Amino acid sequence: MPVRFDSDLARFEAACTAEEALPLAEWLETAAAPRVDLSACTELHTALLQLLLAARPALAAAPEDAFLARWVGPLLAKAG
Amino acid sequence: MSELFDQFIVEAQDLLETAGGALLALERDPADRASVDELFRAFHTLKGASALFDMAPFTRLVHAGEDTLSLLRDGRRALTPELADPLFRVLDQCARWVAALETAGALPDDAPTAADALVRGLAGDAAAEGTAAAGGEAEAFPWLAALTAEERAGAGDGRLTAIDYRPDPECFFTGDDPLALFRRVPDLRLLRIEAAEPLPALAEMDPYRCVLHFRALSGADAEAVRPAFRSVPDQVHIAAVTLKPALKPAVIPIAVAPPDSLAARMLEEQGRILELPGSAVERDSRRAAVARAVAAILASLGRPADRRMIEAACADAVTLHRFLAEGPARPATPESPPTAIPAARRALRVEPERMDALMALVGELSVVKGQLGPLLRRAEDGELATELRRDLKGFSARLDTLVGDLRHAALRLRLLPLARVFDPLPRLVRDTARRLDKTVELMLEGAETEADKDILDVLGEPLLHLVRNALDHGIEPPDRRITAGKPPGGTLRVRAFQDKGGVVVEVSDDGAGIDPAAMRRAAAAKGLLEPDAAAALSDADAVRLVFAPGFSTAGAVSDLSGRGVGMDAVRAAVERAGGRVEIASTPGAGTRVRLSLPLTLSITRVVVVEAAGALYGIPVALVGGIQRVPRAAIRAVKRAESVVLRDRVVPLVRLRRLLGQPEDVRVRESDCVVLAELGDGPVALAVDDVGERADVVLRPMTGVLRSLRGYAGTAALGDGRLILVLDLRELL
Repeated sequence: MPVRFDSDLARFEAACTAEEALPLAEWLETAAAPRVDLSACTELHTALLQLLLAARPALAAAPEDAFLARWVGPLLAKAG
Repeated sequence: MSELFDQFIVEAQDLLETAGGALLALERDPADRASVDELFRAFHTLKGASALFDMAPFTRLVHAGEDTLSLLRDGRRALTPELADPLFRVLDQCARWVAALETAGALPDDAPTAADALVRGLAGDAAAEGTAAAGGEAEAFPWLAALTAEERAGAGDGRLTAIDYRPDPECFFTGDDPLALFRRVPDLRLLRIEAAEPLPALAEMDPYRCVLHFRALSGADAEAVRPAFRSVPDQVHIAAVTLKPALKPAVIPIAVAPPDSLAARMLEEQGRILELPGSAVERDSRRAAVARAVAAILASLGRPADRRMIEAACADAVTLHRFLAEGPARPATPESPPTAIPAARRALRVEPERMDALMALVGELSVVKGQLGPLLRRAEDGELATELRRDLKGFSARLDTLVGDLRHAALRLRLLPLARVFDPLPRLVRDTARRLDKTVELMLEGAETEADKDILDVLGEPLLHLVRNALDHGIEPPDRRITAGKPPGGTLRVRAFQDKGGVVVEVSDDGAGIDPAAMRRAAAAKGLLEPDAAAALSDADAVRLVFAPGFSTAGAVSDLSGRGVGMDAVRAAVERAGGRVEIASTPGAGTRVRLSLPLTLSITRVVVVEAAGALYGIPVALVGGIQRVPRAAIRAVKRAESVVLRDRVVPLVRLRRLLGQPEDVRVRESDCVVLAELGDGPVALAVDDVGERADVVLRPMTGVLRSLRGYAGTAALGDGRLILVLDLRELL
């Protein structure tokens, strides 16, 4: 599974597709203090990105993928 | 809305549909004169009809389409896929506009720009697009003028390419990933990702609806940028722009007020006030004053905006300028209705003979009802019970037959041809095949087969997914097909037919098929199965693994399959409707998926059971038997219970426990057990009591209850009591 959900930490791994959108939305709603770890994420589907922008979870680790690090990381860090 | 306008909507929908069909036919056979004429006629009629109303962009667009088609008609141009693409886009845009006209009564605000882009696309003159927009940077890309200093520095000066991409809210369903497109943009200098509408609270957010708006700058030429957005040309605006070296942000045009008007100057002045030096307290009070002034000016311009938005925009001069340059967001009301459109066109067309049959039965019903009066009088007169009983029995029998016939007639009203779910397929196959550079012939059979409209609704989405999947993973690219000794073009066959009491839809392709060995390896690698268990699977069972949750056969996730619905969702949707999915595949020769669905969802026969004082229904189709089992016959290992029924050891599950109800404290000698036959083996369900069997009209859960798992819906019993019908597959 590209996204692994713990009680309040979600680890994004490799290519995370739209299939994760529903589980992610549910997790963001239920987790008390959600934190996300994007360090191993290589692709982040738009559906997931907009959920993160809406929920603004804390960023436990910024993405290392060059594209995400440059354009998405700062956006989420700002949000958190 | 005037009658004439309503008529235009209906007519336009029909014409667009005709035009779409003709265009598909024409692309297949460019020499097809009849299709050219039909297409031309459709555009011509649309042009004439739309000119009656105030919708200039619509008229302009179909006029341009007509011009292009006249070239085709006169043989001066041939229909190539490159020319078909923009024409399809024109049809899509018109369909969206017609939908907007139907709900909002007017074209959306961006209609003129959208029409311009499409007209240019029809002319095939991409270069013109660049030069036309170059001068009007501020006009086409108002946000450019409001870049922060930091963003300007990152973007650099000089000739750049600006990208404004507002993805279709439904784009996730067609496999788009807007963010991923920007990975393919060369020399990306700036990427701004913003919500196109205020983001709703998480709980109200539809995770499959795209609400983001992307704006970007690239150092590469427009021509080098364009290919990245090849699949979404109607949603993106790309043009060359020249960024002047960062000056003072005073040159910002203010979109909300005419240039040089008093309002514009006042608004500019507000920005300067924000930049004045001073202590934090002073600045705070200035900010509040500026916010009040801006709100008042905007209100006087007839463009009132939300107070909180204005206050947020007044954080600093640059933000305020950006806010004013883009204009305050319009109230979101005209934006939201499009989601409701599919429902608007769901009028049911009924054949007159079916209506007549129903009327005849209603007539008969009145006759039978007339017999009730005399019977009642005879009972009041104290007639002998034996005679009365005989006549009452006859009356009851006649009523039974009649009610049965009536139900049948009413159900027949709801039957619709499968053409309804087949209609979108030709276009889907055409577009998808083109995107994947494959040649695919689609063969549709049995579009006239009928099924209940609820079944058709269930069928639609899984069918689209199966077709997309076959194109994506099944049919190989032409070069691989040639190497394999097949014709370069693939064949996709979608066949529907009626089968004992149900309807069957088969999707078969002549593609690569599914390799059972690869499936076994993947299942073991993904940890779905132990290696031994995987190795022990028969070929057929291994292929069936595609329906397992979280399983994807393709090595790489292509942009088509990286979408929300997987094969497991197809299976779940079909099974929820009481149907079955089967798959058969021969490596190298192709795959066939067969969906079998009941003819109707509406009437379900259920066994009524009781647990903890409440009534529940279990669909009879799942019930293999009902019996009392002595307590002693139930074997318990810890909390897992089992029972031997018909020489099989069957796991026993207590309904109270499943539903989270308290345990039954009464001491009983035996348990009432319903044997449920589920796909993966029988389960014995212990209930408090078993009641009658009843035919019920199943109503799906709606509203907040929809997310409730484990229930197929609610139903009313003959005596008016309400029951919850269990979805055992989900519950267990």
